[in-house]
Amino acid sequence: MSKILIAEDEVLMLKALEFKLKKEGYEVEVASDGRQAMEKVKSNTYDLVLTDIMMPFVGGMEILSYIKNDAIKKHTPVLLISAVGLEHVVLEGFSLGADDFIYKPFNLNELSVRIKRYIKQNVFH
Amino acid sequence: MSIFNTLFNYIGQIYTDRLPYFPTNIRVSLLIILFCVITAIELYLYMMVRRAVRSVRSKRMKYWDDYISVLLANMIVFDETDHPHEVVAHFYPKLKKIPLRSKVVNSILVEKILTYHKNFTGKTAEVLSLMYRKLSLDKKAKRKIKNRNWETKIEGIREANEMDLMEMAHLIVEYTDDENALLRMEAQAAYIKLSQSDPFHFLDRAQERILDWHQVVLFEIITKHKKLTIPSFSKWLYSSNDTVVMLCLKLVDHFMQFDAAQEVIKLLKHQNPKIVRKAVEIIGKLELEDAESFMFEIYFNHSEEIKLEILNALGKIASGNYSEFLSSRIYSADVKIKKEALYAIKIDPDHGEEKLRTIYLQTGQENQALIKHVLDDRIR
Amino acid sequence: MREFLTDFETIFNNAIFYYAVVVMGSYVIFTLLSAIEMNSYMKKNSYVNYREILVSPLAPSVSILAPAYNEEATIIENIRSLLSLHYGNYEVIIINDGSTDHTFQRMFDYYQLEKVDFAVNYQITCNEIKGVYKSKLPSFSKLTIVDKVNGGKSDALNAGINVSGKDLLLCIDVDCIVQEDAILKLAKPYLEEKYQVIATGGVVRIANSCKVEDGKLVEVNMPRNLWPRFQVLEYIRAFLMGRMAWSRLNGLLIISGAMGLFDKNIVIKVGGYDHTTVGEDMELVVRMRRYMYEQDRRFKVVYIPDPLCWTEAPADLQILGRQRNRWTRGTIETLWTHKDLFFNPRYGILGMLSYPYWLFFEWLAPIVEAFGVCVFILLALMGNINWEFSLILLSMVYCFSVMLSTVAIFFEEMSYQQYTKGKDLAKLLLAAFLEPILYHPLTVIWAIQGNVHKFRGKNNWGTMTRKGFKNAEALNSTANTTT
Repeated sequence: MSKILIAEDEVLMLKALEFKLKKEGYEVEVASDGRQAMEKVKSNTYDLVLTDIMMPFVGGMEILSYIKNDAIKKHTPVLLISAVGLEHVVLEGFSLGADDFIYKPFNLNELSVRIKRYIKQNVFH
Repeated sequence: MSIFNTLFNYIGQIYTDRLPYFPTNIRVSLLIILFCVITAIELYLYMMVRRAVRSVRSKRMKYWDDYISVLLANMIVFDETDHPHEVVAHFYPKLKKIPLRSKVVNSILVEKILTYHKNFTGKTAEVLSLMYRKLSLDKKAKRKIKNRNWETKIEGIREANEMDLMEMAHLIVEYTDDENALLRMEAQAAYIKLSQSDPFHFLDRAQERILDWHQVVLFEIITKHKKLTIPSFSKWLYSSNDTVVMLCLKLVDHFMQFDAAQEVIKLLKHQNPKIVRKAVEIIGKLELEDAESFMFEIYFNHSEEIKLEILNALGKIASGNYSEFLSSRIYSADVKIKKEALYAIKIDPDHGEEKLRTIYLQTGQENQALIKHVLDDRIR
Repeated sequence: MREFLTDFETIFNNAIFYYAVVVMGSYVIFTLLSAIEMNSYMKKNSYVNYREILVSPLAPSVSILAPAYNEEATIIENIRSLLSLHYGNYEVIIINDGSTDHTFQRMFDYYQLEKVDFAVNYQITCNEIKGVYKSKLPSFSKLTIVDKVNGGKSDALNAGINVSGKDLLLCIDVDCIVQEDAILKLAKPYLEEKYQVIATGGVVRIANSCKVEDGKLVEVNMPRNLWPRFQVLEYIRAFLMGRMAWSRLNGLLIISGAMGLFDKNIVIKVGGYDHTTVGEDMELVVRMRRYMYEQDRRFKVVYIPDPLCWTEAPADLQILGRQRNRWTRGTIETLWTHKDLFFNPRYGILGMLSYPYWLFFEWLAPIVEAFGVCVFILLALMGNINWEFSLILLSMVYCFSVMLSTVAIFFEEMSYQQYTKGKDLAKLLLAAFLEPILYHPLTVIWAIQGNVHKFRGKNNWGTMTRKGFKNAEALNSTANTTT
């Protein structure tokens, strides 16, 4: 079973994402702020990380850059969730190695299809 | 214990038997002391009670908060194959059980529905809208809009805005020119989204200022809202309300509305320098060659800020008609003008940098330093 | 002689009484004004969605200016938190003011800096800028480092202003902890006021004993040490009550040096920070206001009550004393430089209210107080004291000050409630009782010292020794003098 980490500071959103992905049959761990997320990322390995960009204490970008600079974890797909489609944010995200951007508002079913695809791709690494 | 007794007796006496015999200032002091002590004690009690009540209430509300969150989260994670109406029918009885008569519980539910509606599209949003109406929350929103209190009105308008309650548009339009700035802004923002016939109608009749802050909000809605038909904003560039002109200029700029060119050029003669500056900026962005001579005409009558903007616009147009002028500006006494002129020369993609290098060889040390700066792409 | 002394005692008691009543009356008025201002701000603010400014291309652009002098212990951590603030269009300019330690080298290595051909336009005079640096890494494109010859904080800020390429300037102390939404909140008044806003300031809070991780505030705690705790009370009173009221009257004179957002054009027009005074933050605001009056332009200086910036308060009495001493001298210098404002109707509120208030209550109050104590002791020695009356007068002042602090705590409780633990609230209330006895006399002494130093022409800069937040408590006891 694939393991996914969701980091999102809006509790309500976190719950929806958690329920959705559990329903799809993934093993899900959640973090409601950047610090928690960072601790989890450091001590575990995940098959995919879904993180909001703007979170208290530690932003999604820092989590992304940690994963992508880690020798073992760097193949973990990282999907960034953003309410802000600012050009420089998107560019920064991709330059740091983000696999995809999800803009709020988004379609839940579409998200789960995307996640399925990234996890499948990653099996070959 | 006797010390305290003596003390109490003493204080008692001061405030009773002996009070009339003190000089006025001491008497007033005694009263002030009394006042301070009472006020302080009241505040302590108030703070303590408030904290206690809050902790009790938050414990009770936490139950409903969790309950509603779980319920809604379950509701929106339906399968792609489920029909929205079926989902709503399945969850409606459960939501109906929530004590919605309680204002607090009601607002918790509304807030959560709104949050999900804001963040999700597609069928999820559809299910939420259906459920919202089925619970008659739209009727409550309508009552809020009609409420006399402006804070409640705003709440209602926001709800209507987020849940796309189109039928409320005619109610909301009334407030688009209200004296209360916050209410006005919310109403305008909602009206743009909800009016199907004429979403920009409020611009025709706007007498009140649209503050910069409101322009930010409106701009955000107008540029991000996908279903909106964008009109030609040139229509409002003659408005007597400067803030309307300003907002429309920003929108002409964003949507690159070339059909507004003539009106924008005419605004170069506007008496409000902010509008002139924005007009010049747009002329540059749209590369309106026709406007060059007009800008040159007004150049020397204006402040430094507008001069800088004109230089930049001339650079962007890059017709070559004013390249002599640009080159001559690097001998201005004002360093900012020099720098902007150099940047303007640089903009020309074909010869800009080359030209700067030629000037570099013929000019003094100060200008050389500036040219180096301008050629360095890491800084501006 | 006896008779004369008795008369004198009556007059003296009356004088104390009337003075106290005037001071207390002004406090009551200020409390009411700030209650109105706070209430309207809180109400308005609850409808604001800051996301819109965050994403909007129409939001004003901001340069953060942070001077750094010998900050090698914390500089990387501090810059990192400045780079992660929530705002769209901003840049961070760190001015290395001729540090004698490895501050510059640390930044150079960590951010892989390289020199750029920056042609500095010296619009404001400042010491020579040796070089302007940018990072080679694209993710740090917001960062600019200015390396200059040492000239003090004001001079460093002036250098930063010359390098800034944005519309607004956020001047901050590099070692304070900035809330992520600070720029958003400070920038908003620039977009909404009818009149031109020339400066906005935020509330400074005390970070002692708070939990800080990676340059960010994680948990708010009441300082364990008593002296910072008194300062917490003092800051709440000054910021939530004093400055909010002045903001309401549009007569605000001080934007804290720890954090303020200024209109760059106006700052340049008035010539930037004055580096001959130790009270440069106050002096700049006074000069900017003055300039606007002279230009006959309507304007506002706005205060935001949100806690936007957390700073470490001196826990060591010696350092604290030096800080207060410096503040007093700064006040005197500013008042002296702008003495022609005194009851000058040309300068509106500034001349008719703010300046006189500052003169009488901020500068003269401690002197009057000290003088009163001296006379009292003298009278007591001569045996000419009505102890009961004096005690009642004293109790009045004491009770009033406790009540005022309680009201301030009440404001905090009703608005931001930073101290969520009941224990912390109790500690704060207890501090309100002890403050007039333990802390207040010290502030009077320090203010007097400041006066003495000023008039004896001693220009002691009172350096504050600062440490990294990680081991702040440990170092507090060993903080040494580096003046």
